[in-house]
Amino acid sequence: MNWQGISEALLLGLATGPVCLATCGPVVTPWMLAQPGGILRQGRQLGLFLTARLAGYLAFAVAAWLVGSAVPRAWEGRGWPLALVDLLLAAAMAAWAMGWPRRKCGTQAEGALVQIGQPLGSQKASAQKVSALSLGFLTGINFCPPFLAAGIRAAQCNHLGAALVFFTAFFFGTVVWFVPMAALGLVRRTSAVLAVARMTALLLALWYAGMGVLILAGEGLHG
Amino acid sequence: MASSTMTTNQLVTRGVGRSILLTLPMVLWTLLMFTPGLRQPGAEKHAAAAVTGVFMVGLFYCMMRTGQTYRWRRIFFVALGFLFPVGFIAALVAVRGSMSIPIEHMVSGDTPFCYMVIPMLIVPAALTQTLVFPGSILPTPSNPHSIAAMIGLWLAMTLVLGKGWCAYGCFFGGIEEGFAAIPKRARLRKLNDRYRLIPWAVLLTIVLLSAAIFEPVYCMWLCPFKAVTEFPAVRDVETAIQFGVFVLLFTGLVVVLPFLTKKRTQCGFFCPFGAFQSIFNKINIFDIRFDREKCTDCRVCVVNCPTMAINAEAVGKGEARMSCMKCGACVDGCRKGAAVWHIKGTAVGANPERARLLFLYGAWAMATMFGGSVIAHGISTILHFVLKG
Repeated sequence: MNWQGISEALLLGLATGPVCLATCGPVVTPWMLAQPGGILRQGRQLGLFLTARLAGYLAFAVAAWLVGSAVPRAWEGRGWPLALVDLLLAAAMAAWAMGWPRRKCGTQAEGALVQIGQPLGSQKASAQKVSALSLGFLTGINFCPPFLAAGIRAAQCNHLGAALVFFTAFFFGTVVWFVPMAALGLVRRTSAVLAVARMTALLLALWYAGMGVLILAGEGLHG
Repeated sequence: MASSTMTTNQLVTRGVGRSILLTLPMVLWTLLMFTPGLRQPGAEKHAAAAVTGVFMVGLFYCMMRTGQTYRWRRIFFVALGFLFPVGFIAALVAVRGSMSIPIEHMVSGDTPFCYMVIPMLIVPAALTQTLVFPGSILPTPSNPHSIAAMIGLWLAMTLVLGKGWCAYGCFFGGIEEGFAAIPKRARLRKLNDRYRLIPWAVLLTIVLLSAAIFEPVYCMWLCPFKAVTEFPAVRDVETAIQFGVFVLLFTGLVVVLPFLTKKRTQCGFFCPFGAFQSIFNKINIFDIRFDREKCTDCRVCVVNCPTMAINAEAVGKGEARMSCMKCGACVDGCRKGAAVWHIKGTAVGANPERARLLFLYGAWAMATMFGGSVIAHGISTILHFVLKG
């Protein structure tokens, strides 16, 4: 891929970044608010999330290039991949909000809803990484208009490397818009803030689950 | 105050003459607000304007005379809550023939602007210059009530009253306040203090989702009051679910739970706009404080507060939480005069009645202008049906 293609991808990412931020905002905002505070710490968590998101982008780029433009175009009209991603996101967010990793690790025995709002200090670093990676990857393969536009453009690339470079450049264009989110580290982590973040994550999990089911129901009804 | 006396629960009561004198500014304001109504054609409109004017002035007079706030405010607020749907539904049926609105009409801007939308407008507008509610920012020939004008009106009121909007301006909260007033005692008393955080979670959720999918998510999916105003026409599974959610939320949060708890459960445990308004309490000069020297920790204020804005911790700190909507229930109920109206920057208990008066003039002026016109419309609608069928 030449510089013109890279700059095109970068500009596409920069131009559509606010839409990407708005699309990923419901996932990343409550998740970050419930993490321990501090800009550097939040920056690291955000970096991990974005790395997983890049992995999602690249996975899609590979699929798009392998099957050609058929993938994004075919998926655009069909709901089940969207529904699948929504349901997976719902499951990941609910599991994280309900404190599933902690229970799995055996550090807390109580019901998860009782734990809502408790500091995450007791949560193992590995559990935090799992949530960052899973949510990042799932938002990476979640379809939004800019992502589909980039997918179609990547599918037109001559070889796989070019498609990967295109998506990587597109990703870095969008990342600029995510950087200010590290400022969420400045919000004081009171028990109320943590509780609200987790309740929000639960509500959003319900939303994504509902959307996934509705899409599947629509597919069932309309074929 | 020479002609003022104190009641057993430390409220300032006044003589008839002084009360009338203090009510005079509100009489003038009410005349200003309702004179246009008297000029409109139709006997029912004249009668409605006159009745509403007397109603609003009468209640303000009672506030001045008795020193009580909550009791009289509640009469206005419940009337507002129950009369708003009457006028609104009648207008909808007259114009459209139904309370339901087809989605294409909604998108084309054929739906009135509601203040509930305001928090959802901010992020999408900032990120993508997109207005996620049908309508125009500036007035157009076909729609003179621009969104900018409505937001400006709301902002001016909010800066003056803070979360007082929720007790004097909201035309929904009166319905649940009415149901909460029916039982003598709460049947459900143990409420988890964390429930009060849910409105913040709902607020964050709708703000984020509205930016993500470019639609006013609360209006489309979560507003309990859609059940008694307008809602998307039921055409498929999705709209049927929407309708079901509206009815379920309305029944649960606005009818059943207020009846069981004697609290405004929708406002205290769900309403995202209430949470949004709470932020403005931080910059508003009026608040409710507790004089620790007089307080006996009897917890009457905790029980009386309709939205869980007061708990033992708040009383201990000497101030109501930021979710306080200044309804006056705690002040009216406090037998020791420990719960007081207060102006920030002044000593607690220095002159609480002055703080109350200053707040009430602003609050009641808004109530008369905003709620009064809604009440007049509702009364006019009822009279129209009674007199003309």
